[in-house]
Amino acid sequence: MAWGEDHELVARVVSAQDTNAFGELIRRHQSHVRNFLRKLTGDYTAADDLAQDCFIHAWDKLQTFSGRGSFIGWLLKIAYTTFLQSKRKSKRYGEILDQVGHANEVNDRSYTVQPDEVGDLDRFLAVLTDEERAIMLMSYACGLSHREIGESMAMPVGTVKSVIFRGKEKIRTNFDIKDHQHG
Amino acid sequence: MTSKIINMAERIKDEQDRLLESMFESAPIADNGFSTQIVKRIRRKLWIRRITLPAAVLIGGLVAFQPVVGLLKGVFQLLSSLPVELVPSLEGSLPSLQLIVTGALILFVLMFSLNMIED
Repeated sequence: MAWGEDHELVARVVSAQDTNAFGELIRRHQSHVRNFLRKLTGDYTAADDLAQDCFIHAWDKLQTFSGRGSFIGWLLKIAYTTFLQSKRKSKRYGEILDQVGHANEVNDRSYTVQPDEVGDLDRFLAVLTDEERAIMLMSYACGLSHREIGESMAMPVGTVKSVIFRGKEKIRTNFDIKDHQHG
Repeated sequence: MTSKIINMAERIKDEQDRLLESMFESAPIADNGFSTQIVKRIRRKLWIRRITLPAAVLIGGLVAFQPVVGLLKGVFQLLSSLPVELVPSLEGSLPSLQLIVTGALILFVLMFSLNMIED
């Protein structure tokens, strides 16, 4: 079956609760969303679980998609919110475990990469805050424009630009990135 | 015009931008049943949502049936025990208990069927 543009598929899902059309939307964007969350969390399994939750939330909230921006921008916004919610939950869970003396059982979903898996990008991302990381990923990994990122993160374009500038400055001051060229 | 200038400015990338882009670049992740799994979860969720209200109405109806019949019987006994002068207009115009219960059952079945057809 030939599917149309994202906006047509969204319209079909909203008007007829067409799960096949939504399945096509997932197939189109799962790679971007999973890559975004994998880089945001540094944990592949957790990222895929979050990606599933993200698409379920997207299904529930699809009627709120205005259609003005790109669908992937809207999806990444949900992915980022899902990530923050999960992080908050982990923190609360950690505090409860802390109170009952099981601090070691805390599985914090903040950016934690195994030392043997650390690559250049992982080290770059580790110096950034969650927000900076998300915005840098949207810009450099997903190719979203500053305007699209602004819509996704609900912030002015100027703020997006300054966050990207700040992120780049952090990377520049923490690493001599010329060493990583061609590598 | 201004937006065109902004877009142009956004497209002008320095060496670091190009380097970051190449570092952030990653191979596409194969679906491998990922989307099917989510669609299954959504269908299950939809099915549960559709079945919950009718099931609750059915169970509630079954649980409430006896007390409601008892209540209706009580009301009828009360009405029939009242002197005829007090309720002259009600005499003859009240439907029988069987008729009310049958009507309620037909209404319930109709609403349930309509809900199922709509889904």
